[in-house]
Order: sequence, then C-alpha cells, then structure tokens
Amino acid sequence: MIIDLEKCVGCHACAIACRAEWEVPTGKDSANRERRRNWVKRLGPSKTPHGLASTYYPGLCNHCDKPACVNVCPADKVEVTFTDPKSGAKKTMQVAATWKDPFNGTVQIDKERCLGCGACADACPYSARYVNEDGEAPKADKCTFCVERLAAGLEPACVQTCLAKARIFGDLSDPNSEVAKYVKKGAARLESSKVKLGPNVRYYGNKRDMSLLVATSTPKTMPQANLRRTMMAQVLKSTAREVKSLGLLGLAGALVVKGLQEDEDSKE
Amino acid sequence: MALNLTRRKFLQTASLAAATAAVSGCFANRAAASTPFVRKPFTAPGSFADTKTVVGGVCEMCFWRCQLVGKVRDGKLVKLEGNPKSIDNGASICARGNAGVKLLYDPDRLKYPMKNVGKRGAPEWKRISWDEALDECAAKLKAVSEKYGPHAIAMFPHGASATYPMGFFEKVVGTPNISEASFFQCRGIRDTAYVATLDTPPDENVDMANAKAILLLGGHFGENVHVSHVKRYLKGLENGAKLIVVDPRFSASAAKAHIWVKIKPGTDTAFLLAVMNHLVKSGKYNKAYVTANGVGFDKFTAGIAHASLEWAARICDVPAKQIKEVAELLAANAPNVSIHPGRHVSWYGNDFQRERSLACLTGLLGAIGVKGGFVAGKGPKVGKAGGWPAVNEEHAEHHALHKMAKKYPFSPPGTPTDLIREAALTGKPYPIKAFVAWGQNPIQTVPNQPMTIKVLQQMDFVMVCDIMPTDITMYADILLPETSYLERYDMIKPGTQWDLAGKQQQYIAARLPLVAMTAADHERKDPVWITNELAKRMGFEKHIPVKSQEEKTEKMLAGANLSIEQLIKEEGIRVQDGVEPYGKVLKVNFFSQEIADAGFPGVPTYTPVPEPPKGFARLVYGRAPVHTFNRSQNNAWLVNEMPENPVWLNDESARKMGLKDGDRVSLVNQDGVKSRTTTVLKVTPGIRKDTIYMAHGYGTMNPAMTVGVGKGIDDQSLITKGAVDPETGAHGMRSCFVKFIKDGKELSIPA
Repeated sequence: MIIDLEKCVGCHACAIACRAEWEVPTGKDSANRERRRNWVKRLGPSKTPHGLASTYYPGLCNHCDKPACVNVCPADKVEVTFTDPKSGAKKTMQVAATWKDPFNGTVQIDKERCLGCGACADACPYSARYVNEDGEAPKADKCTFCVERLAAGLEPACVQTCLAKARIFGDLSDPNSEVAKYVKKGAARLESSKVKLGPNVRYYGNKRDMSLLVATSTPKTMPQANLRRTMMAQVLKSTAREVKSLGLLGLAGALVVKGLQEDEDSKE
Repeated sequence: MALNLTRRKFLQTASLAAATAAVSGCFANRAAASTPFVRKPFTAPGSFADTKTVVGGVCEMCFWRCQLVGKVRDGKLVKLEGNPKSIDNGASICARGNAGVKLLYDPDRLKYPMKNVGKRGAPEWKRISWDEALDECAAKLKAVSEKYGPHAIAMFPHGASATYPMGFFEKVVGTPNISEASFFQCRGIRDTAYVATLDTPPDENVDMANAKAILLLGGHFGENVHVSHVKRYLKGLENGAKLIVVDPRFSASAAKAHIWVKIKPGTDTAFLLAVMNHLVKSGKYNKAYVTANGVGFDKFTAGIAHASLEWAARICDVPAKQIKEVAELLAANAPNVSIHPGRHVSWYGNDFQRERSLACLTGLLGAIGVKGGFVAGKGPKVGKAGGWPAVNEEHAEHHALHKMAKKYPFSPPGTPTDLIREAALTGKPYPIKAFVAWGQNPIQTVPNQPMTIKVLQQMDFVMVCDIMPTDITMYADILLPETSYLERYDMIKPGTQWDLAGKQQQYIAARLPLVAMTAADHERKDPVWITNELAKRMGFEKHIPVKSQEEKTEKMLAGANLSIEQLIKEEGIRVQDGVEPYGKVLKVNFFSQEIADAGFPGVPTYTPVPEPPKGFARLVYGRAPVHTFNRSQNNAWLVNEMPENPVWLNDESARKMGLKDGDRVSLVNQDGVKSRTTTVLKVTPGIRKDTIYMAHGYGTMNPAMTVGVGKGIDDQSLITKGAVDPETGAHGMRSCFVKFIKDGKELSIPA
C-alpha cells in the first residue's frame, strides 16, 4: 500500500472505517497498547530543513518482508499449505499462530490458535498490533490488508472510504501497478538503520512533509523484548520442534507450562 | 496487576492449546490450510459478510449530506458506507460519517420523554409518557402565548429535524424569535452579503476542481471536511491550481498552499481591499466583465483608493510584496479562480464587509460563470411538502425585534440572537417567556454562556428536543427524545456530480430509514409526529400539512415523478442527465446603494477590531476533522481519535513562558473567566504570537454525556464577549482574549 501525503487531508475516515469494519475496540489493552488496526497521527506544524511542514502519519501493519512479529509467536507450529491464487502453486510451511503468506506477502493471524500473549505486539516496532481482550479469550489483532474483503471482490475498508484517494492498494511485484509507479517516484519506507524489516506500506510526499514524517514516525530502535514472554516463546518453540508429530506435545507443553507457573508463583 | 492477569491467562491458554494439539496431532489443522483466515468467533466477520445492504441513507453527522448505504445484520446496523451510486461523495464518507453507527447505538442517547423535577441547570429527571410530556408542553406554550403573545416564545433550531417544527412555530404559532445557529453564529453574514453584492447566496459554489488558483480566507480543508467539497479542492490542487491560504495559523490547507499569508486576525478586509486596489490601479482586473456587469464601479474604486499595499501590510502584519504577489497570482489566473466565500464566517463583528469584499473580488476578476470560478451546479427539481400555512406569520413579522428597533437590515432570516436575549432579560420591547431548543445546543453555539443561562432561568417554560443529552438539555423542563437521521424518513437531497466539468448529471436522494424507528429500549419519535401532536394540543390541528415524515417524503419525491418505492429500486439515488452549469453572468454591486441607504458603507470598508490587552492573545477556533460543531463530542469512535482539543501556542512565546509541548494547561479570558477544564498544550511555530487556537466542539459539561464530558476545553465558555456585526446582527466569536494557567499560576503571553 502507498499513502500519498500530497493528497491526504488527515480526515481520519480510514481509521474509523476500519474500526467499523472489524469492530475494533477503542482505548488501550491491558499492556497499555492502543487498540487499533489503523491510525492517523497529525504531525506538526514543525520546522524542517525544507521549510515549515504539517502532515499526517496514517499507519497500519506494514506486512514486513522480515516481520519481527512472526518468529516470536510461541503457539505450536502446524503444517499449513498455502496456494498462490494466480499460479495455483502450493507451498507447505510450519507456521505458528501468525505467519507471513509466501504468495501474497501479507502477515496474518490465526485467531483460533493465537494464545493472546502479546509477544507479537511487543515485537512490532510500529505498534501495529494489540491484544483484543474483549472476547472470550484474548487474541492478537492487527490490519490484515482486508484480505477477507479482497476475497469478496471489495477494496480494503480504509481504501474505499478515502475521499482523497490517498491510499493506493496494489501488487508491488507488478511493475505496471500504480503502487510500483509510486515506488519508482520515490515512495519511501519508514525504516532506520536499526529497524530494517522491509515494511510494505510506503509513503509519498513533498520533501518537507516526508522529512517531518521520517523524523517523527520512523522507529529508531527495535522494541525491547518482554523477557518473560520471549523466554516462554523460545521454550515453547524449541519444545514444539522436538516433539512435533510425536504426539507428546501436550505432555511436554504441560510440563513447560507447569515449570513456568512454579517460577511465577515463587516470585509472588 | 493487569500484566499478571494477562500472564496467567496466557499460561492457562497455552496449556489448553498444547493439550489440544496432543490429542489431534498436527492433522487437526490441515483443515485450516485451505482457509487460513478462519477467525470466528474471535474476529468480527466483516461488514460484507451476512449483511443486507440498505439504501436510502443521507448522512447528518454534518450537513453536507453525503449519500449512504447501511450494512445491516439481524436488524442491526454494523457499518455505514458511501452509496457507490452517488455522483457526489461516491463510496467515500468521512470519519464522522463512518462513526454514525456509534451515534445510533450510543447508550447515552435520550430514550424517553423526561420531566425535570430538579432545577434548571441541575436537573433531576423523571420518566414520563409522551401524552404527559406533550400535554405539558402544549399547555405551557399556550399559556405563554396567551399571556404575552406568541412572540414570547423563542426557538433555537438546528438540523433537518428542526425544519418542520420551525415552520410551525414561525408560521402557525407566530413567533419571529427564531435563532438558527447556522445563520447567526455561522454563515448568515456570508449569505446576506453575497445577496447584496451578487444577488444570490453563495453556498460554497466555487468550482475549485477546475480552478487555476484558489483563495481561502481561513478555510482549513482537511480539518474541515465535507466530502465532495474536499474532492473539488483536491482535484484542483492535483491539476496544478495555485493555493493561497490567508490564516494566522499554519492550517491543514496552509500546509498545502503555495502562498501562506500569516495574517493578523481581524484584518482580512484590509488585505482584500489592498488586493482589489492593486488590481484596479495596475489595470489587472477583468475590464470587460466589470464594464458589462459592474454597478457603482467608480464609487468603489474611489472608496478603496486609500488601500495601498503598504497600508494593508501595516494593518495585516504581512509583507506588502506578499499582498502584491497574491493579487498578481489571482490576476494571472483570472477568470479561472475560486475566491472561496467561506462557510462559518461570524468571526470578528466586521464580517459583512469582509464577505462583501470577497464577492467584489470575485466580480473584479470576472470569476463568475466560468470554469474554476463562482458557479453553481444546476440540481433537479423536486416537490414541496410539509410547509405550514402562514396563519400567524404577519403577527411574527410585526413583532420582529430588529425591525422594531430599526437595526440590522441585513439580518438573515429569523431574529438576531442578542436581540432575543436582551428582550428576555429586560422585558423590552416585550418579554420572552418560553424557550424551545430543537437540535441546537445554544450553550455551546452562542457566546456568553452566563447570559444564555440567565435567559433560560427567567423563562416560564423550557422545552428541548434532541438526540443526545447536550448541555442545553440540562436546562429543560421537558426533554423530548427524537429519532436520528438513520432511523427516520426526512429530507430530499438534490444535487449534481461533484466535478462541475464532468459528465453533466443530476441526482435526487431521499433520507430513508436504514434501521427500524422503533425498538424495545426506547420511545423516540420523529419530529413530524412530535410537532403534529403539539399542534393538535395547541389547537392548530386543522393547519397540519402532512400526517407523517413518510408522507412528506413521498410528496416531495412525487414532484420529481418518483416514489419511495421507485427510489429504493434505483438503489437510493435517481441519477439523470444534467445541465451545463457554466455561462451564467451575475451583476456585481461594487458599490451598493441599498447598503449606503441603510446607513452603512456602500463600498467594502475595513473596520478595525479591538486589540488584545497586554499579556493576552486572541482566541480563534476552528474545526477538528472528527467533530461537527459540538454535536459529536460523545461519539466513542470520534473521541478516541482526538480525545482533546490541543491549544496551540507559538513556540517562541512558549519558550519565554516556560511552557512545553504536552503540558496540561487551562485558559482564562479578559473578563477573568476560566475554562472549566484543562487540555494539552501544542507548541508550534505554525501560529502567530498574538493568536491562540483550538478546535471547537469539546468540553461538554453534561455528565450524562459519559464519553465526552469534561474532555478538552469548551472554547465557547471563554467567549463571554461576543462581537455583533452591525449590518446583520450576527455574532462575531473571535472576539475574546486569553492567557494560560499552569499549576494554578496565570501566565501572560509575551507580545
């Protein structure tokens, strides 16, 4: 997706359409993360090397090339076969409860298997994930690029409602697509030397607006991982690999969990 | 200990998931391979899944009236979208439009008729039946009318729901004392100034999409959003139109401008006079148009001859060469220039002359009836219905306060607000003893809240009809709950395609309900029903023009050979061939004999406004893209987007005052009135030192608005001294001055 800041007027329609479409709750989750899939932040007016600037940071999941959120997922891996809708090619992978689709490139969550631990949300330098605790069980949530709407022949909700046509959605791998043309014109990723995940939402704008956007909204460091969550994730993951297909996963998992619980209790 | 709780939950869930996997092995998830996006029941299914698309919605989150469709599942509205058949907004709607769902299902909405058994301002509510409520309203209104005359009833209406009752009170009951916020605190000045100059109210009819240059005076599109209007503006910019923005603040539009004129607030007319004088002196105006259509041009040129670039530069505090640059840019692109008339123009109390200047500048450039200029689309004809007969209209006219006082000859329809309030407080020339607010919240729309509250306290009866428990409802004796724009039959919206140079088309849309009007948990009624029931009880049954909203809609559609049924078949919008909008010529009253005869300057004239006292700066306000006036401040989705209205302060001033971005501050005005609440400080180079800015539409004081109460600062609470425009009697509201309070200490603003 490209966001054209020359067109964007900062009206927030995208953020609300997304909230309506996916019934995203307002406020913050219990780990103080903004509950949102899609947001608009007003920037400036501020001085930039190119003059006074005022623009917007319309943000959403970047569906990164190397997503930081996927490998930290502690859920048991399962074998999933993905199909390329274009070529019909198939690819089978071991995936946890969140993965990057090998064909369409989107990063998705299987809510059924999501543990709701928030490790993925903590790992995202763009704060694009949160944990929805409103339902029966907590589940990580974020922008899906509206793959469900796309499958039904519709545009993503934020794209459809955008009065400025500032959000351009398409296939970056197709050189003739509108999005690819924007990339050629210089549409930029919000990346820094320490945060290079290959985000697939790019921003286009004049020098002063881009200067303000990059200065204020590029993550400068990778988030400090939540040690406990990471540890649990690692333990669960390695165990899962060893015991996979042996039918002992449940036992091993239960043992690991028991161990952690004891650890937890001893600290209280 | 929220984190611990989450952790525990995590452990439980992890163990459960692991156990499940053990039983079924990894084969269990093979099924997921073909449908990796199965998320039920943990994610919403999406508005397109298992929903019915209901057509016929017309938005009223603001008054631009975008055409909608509703996505309805099991009788519940799950999402609003632009009607894809619309040639106006298309499938797009703004943030507020999208958030209409949250208004519809707001748990704080008024549900039942209520009687205030406490005090006005400190209400205690008792649920009563509609019969009881209407009987009491009718009896009390009748009593006031019989004792003091029908003119003793004042009405403060706003929105489509208030049109029908307003006609009843004005024409049948017979009161002239109707104060529409949309006129007296908004656009009335613009409309009458343009009528005096071009013989037509302007609406926002500038063809920005096809303009080569656009001039905005205070217009801040993006912060102020009307979908097809912003589409026109953006198309113009995309096509290379030069944008000139005159604003003391680096607004959303200034950020996209080629020229930002950082003008001293209150001086816009001086700026416009200098631009016009420069065009005249340098011969760069449209001589052909002016010769053919100008009236009183010689008097005009003589009257503005003093307005040199240097004169205006001193007054406006902008460089003379920038004023010249603006004039030259407009001349170079004339006649294809959009001189935007503005919308909310009740700013400083010298506004009629500024609006006159804009209309004259439009004429001077010949920017009328041409691409990019002042052009109105030609909409289709529809029928009329629901008009009340003029039973007592003569009585009303005879008692019009501004006519009795021989003041404000260019008042928009109704009566200037301050004349109503003064009559109420002095009893002269006659008392005003009943107050009806219908869809308007005068506490937050009208300057000088203490005065409005005194006016309310001296009433024999106060009746309020609304959707939400706004601040004015706290002062009601009887409070009536009405249906929202999503639940009722209502008005007709005719128009044309948004780009006037596009394929010429017209449309007719009607507001039809997207969800059922009734439900078990409330007794809301539509305004036609409520008004008719009042009329019956007040003895006016024989004058009732329509029995229901639906009948009214049906009759209006019949005027276009349409019916509700047919309109639904046509997906909620009739689209038909249109008419070429260009080519219309308008006469331009550069000098107006009519205005001169009334004792005002017949040539546009600049009148200075009071300067801020030492230590204060002028409070100006504007719009937030997520709010419409003060109407949407309890909408949970909109509040979540912008929970407060940051107050803007110049960065150099902030440094001298020891304030920093993000500080919590409150404000105090020149009369010592303090804001009830605090808000967050925004420190920026994008505002003048003599100007403080905040978005309007925050800080409701009614605890019944559980989401919005006390959030941000109510700018209107600080506007204790409203200016009054001498020609129109409408308010100017950028007339107050503030300084800051931080940690209990008052902080003066350096000059």
